[in-house]
Amino acid sequence: MNKIIAMLSIAILLCSAFSGMAIAKEDSGMADVTAASAGEKVVKISGDDWGYSTPFAHYPRGPGYIRMSFIFDTLTWKDKNGVIPWLADSWSSSYDAKTWTFYLHRGVKWSDGEPFTADDVKFTFDYTKEHPQKWYKAKEIDHVAVLDPYTVEIHLKESRPTFIEDVTGSVPIIPEHIWADITDPNKFRGDEAVTGTGPLKLVEYVPEQGYYEYGANTKCFKGKSLIDRFISMEVSDDALALETGDIDATSFWGKEIVAKEEFENNPNFEIITGPSFWVRKLYFNCEKYPTNNKTFRHALAYGIDRKKLVEQVMLGGARVANTGIIHPDSPWYKHGLPGYKYNTTKANEILDSLGFIDTDDNEVRNYPGGGDIEFTLFTNTKDEANFIHDNLEVIGIKTEVKVMSWKELDPILKNGEFYIAISGHGGIVQPRTLYTFYSYQNDEYDEIYKKQLRTMDEDVRKELVGELQTIIADDLPVYTLYHPLMWAVYNPDKLDTWFYTKGGVAVGIPIAQNKLIFLFDAWRYDADEDGIIDKSEVIDAIQDYFDGRITKGQAIEVVKLYFL
Amino acid sequence: MHQITKIAGYVAIILVVLSFNFFLPRVMPGDPFSFLTGDPSMDMPIVLDEEMRAELLAYYGLDKPLLQQFSDYMLNLLHGNLGWSIYFNAPVSNILIGRLKWTLLLVGTATAIYMVLGIVLGTISAWKRGGKRDVGLLTFILSISSLPSFFLGMLFIILFGIKLELFPIFGAQTPFMRYSTPFGATADIFRHLLLPAATLVIAHIGGVYLLMRNSMLNVVGEDYILTARAKGLAEWYILRKHAMKNALLPITTMIALRVGFMISGTIFVETVFAYPGVGILLYDAVTYRDYPLLQGAFLIITLAIIAANFVADIIYVRLDPRVKHE
Repeated sequence: MNKIIAMLSIAILLCSAFSGMAIAKEDSGMADVTAASAGEKVVKISGDDWGYSTPFAHYPRGPGYIRMSFIFDTLTWKDKNGVIPWLADSWSSSYDAKTWTFYLHRGVKWSDGEPFTADDVKFTFDYTKEHPQKWYKAKEIDHVAVLDPYTVEIHLKESRPTFIEDVTGSVPIIPEHIWADITDPNKFRGDEAVTGTGPLKLVEYVPEQGYYEYGANTKCFKGKSLIDRFISMEVSDDALALETGDIDATSFWGKEIVAKEEFENNPNFEIITGPSFWVRKLYFNCEKYPTNNKTFRHALAYGIDRKKLVEQVMLGGARVANTGIIHPDSPWYKHGLPGYKYNTTKANEILDSLGFIDTDDNEVRNYPGGGDIEFTLFTNTKDEANFIHDNLEVIGIKTEVKVMSWKELDPILKNGEFYIAISGHGGIVQPRTLYTFYSYQNDEYDEIYKKQLRTMDEDVRKELVGELQTIIADDLPVYTLYHPLMWAVYNPDKLDTWFYTKGGVAVGIPIAQNKLIFLFDAWRYDADEDGIIDKSEVIDAIQDYFDGRITKGQAIEVVKLYFL
Repeated sequence: MHQITKIAGYVAIILVVLSFNFFLPRVMPGDPFSFLTGDPSMDMPIVLDEEMRAELLAYYGLDKPLLQQFSDYMLNLLHGNLGWSIYFNAPVSNILIGRLKWTLLLVGTATAIYMVLGIVLGTISAWKRGGKRDVGLLTFILSISSLPSFFLGMLFIILFGIKLELFPIFGAQTPFMRYSTPFGATADIFRHLLLPAATLVIAHIGGVYLLMRNSMLNVVGEDYILTARAKGLAEWYILRKHAMKNALLPITTMIALRVGFMISGTIFVETVFAYPGVGILLYDAVTYRDYPLLQGAFLIITLAIIAANFVADIIYVRLDPRVKHE
């Protein structure tokens, strides 16, 4: 009998031992030394699995795009001040914004040594039409014409003044010589699939450990990467891993302000703050009585103390939201919209005037025809909902908080099976987020929305986008609650170039991992950011050169800027 | 004849479970593409228009009638093809193998240890019931076992990982390390394994220990033990040959029942230690309504449970020959 137990446990133990050995065998192999040796500059961050780093295989989320963007380049890109030339040195558009001409950077090479030309650009758009990329379908493209190897003309079906911000700044260009024969890009894997022009190249990807290892692409046209290896991997706890040095940078947002504060007085770390371009809002059903009544919606808005919500529920890790939805750090933000400052007297007055009076003395207001005003408050975040429940109770509105997963909440919102609900989304740096409403019909609004899409003049368009925000802030189909803040915490000894991109990376991804952080930029020596490299800043650069932090060529670049 | 009905029974069970695996995920609210339209995480809302949706449905064969999808699924299964995961965008079999090896390592090690420890300690406890050793063991094991595993995991991380710096605090391997021999790599894997495995052992040992102790207590009171003692057999011999053999019956059942849970139930430990495994994968598959992945993962669990039952049946016959004749 004991034999059976013994044998069984030995069998299980052996099984697991073999499984361990097998994994070990897989992973050891050719390389004989620990790769971290040899004085390589390695930077590690935390992160999950976001899919294989090609434009067709990454998961359709910000971090998935970011990892892909280390390898693949776009015609234009963004830095902390806005749009910059990238694969295209310059561009122009026809008066109607239907034809766009791009003058490509010369001498760009793919990481396998093949030259990058206008044919690759044409191929990318043609191929994407047939095989949609994760975030782009090339639907608005009529055709692409190659004028010469370094000039390409993109013809659109309709005028698109926002072509640069919407398309060229986010669509990765793929090499024709590799992708031309690929019929199912979704399933294309291997070294060839990750041939790009960007500063890094993918060395290893282990999905189950969320492990990405990137090496420097020595052929990158923007120069050699500042670091030799960039690693992203899953860790149990970001703050702990950062403290123990297992990772060199991570990001926190919203309520995680508590974790961020742990690093504030630690001289080994630096912190930068950014906008998340995210908003949590209270949705009103504008097709059901009584939430279809604008005045009633106003009363509820006055009855919610957003400032206190940010302090108590978000622990200060957010800012009170723009009632017009667009994030205050966005160029499209409309200043001076009504904020509905917390005022229960006003809320009560409005509700009284609407005839919603507590006739049966149960602390809950009644409809003019009788019956308590009582709603189910659908939400996927408990704390905010409980706060609002308490706030509304004060003005005599009864709510029952119902917490559910996003999957369950989404259809309820879409089908209009609610009176009030709490939900949120990102990307509020772009005007296109202004059309996502449930159960709200406003022809004038729709008209302006379409008009701004076609408007060439940026100032006119800004005005129109401002009008949209004004309508939302006044009509209140949704009442915005807060915009969470974001922080990147990093060890500057490993890499100190982290920054938040103006308007977010590419389509508006709010994280501080713009591939520019891997590249040398002489302007970083402009310490006082006055747009001029002065003598002391040149001395800094020369000092860095003597300390071996930058190369001679890089130091010369800084000196050149001084003489400019 | 008996064997044939038994096998037929297993086949029937597998078929029923396969159908459940296929239809249940499709009954859940939401669909496998809703994650595209922007989960309220830090992300862009993507607008998925009808045309794009139709293309996606066609690409994954989800536009066909349900019955045809079912027959396609069964046919693919016969060919050993588990399909293509929608969210992870990779073959389901690759994803499962990638995770399963770690789960097997973790759960296998932990199970072997807590099984043996639980049985041995349970026996020791019951043999001298009410003694100092019994009370001590009972109190100790019950109190550590009742700690939630994520709490215990965090405790281990802080104590052994951060304060004493004895063990790594996350992952299954040291990232970015290439060893010259497989031994170095194996040692590294076992160093990473120790804390999560210890957490699992502590979390599960209570059940085995208690069951073994109770079952042993029942057996100790039986007449044949008295007879054995009257025969003058050595205490150790009675314990092993007479008592333990009979007391092990319920344990076998328990372990067979637990197999499914062992594969999927390590989610807390996986989360706390960021250990790759099937638990988190299952959670993700459910969250993203990834039908092919859900089907694949449930299939593995189903097969594991059925296999465990099969083994339990065999062991039962050896432990209790009466079962065979019934």
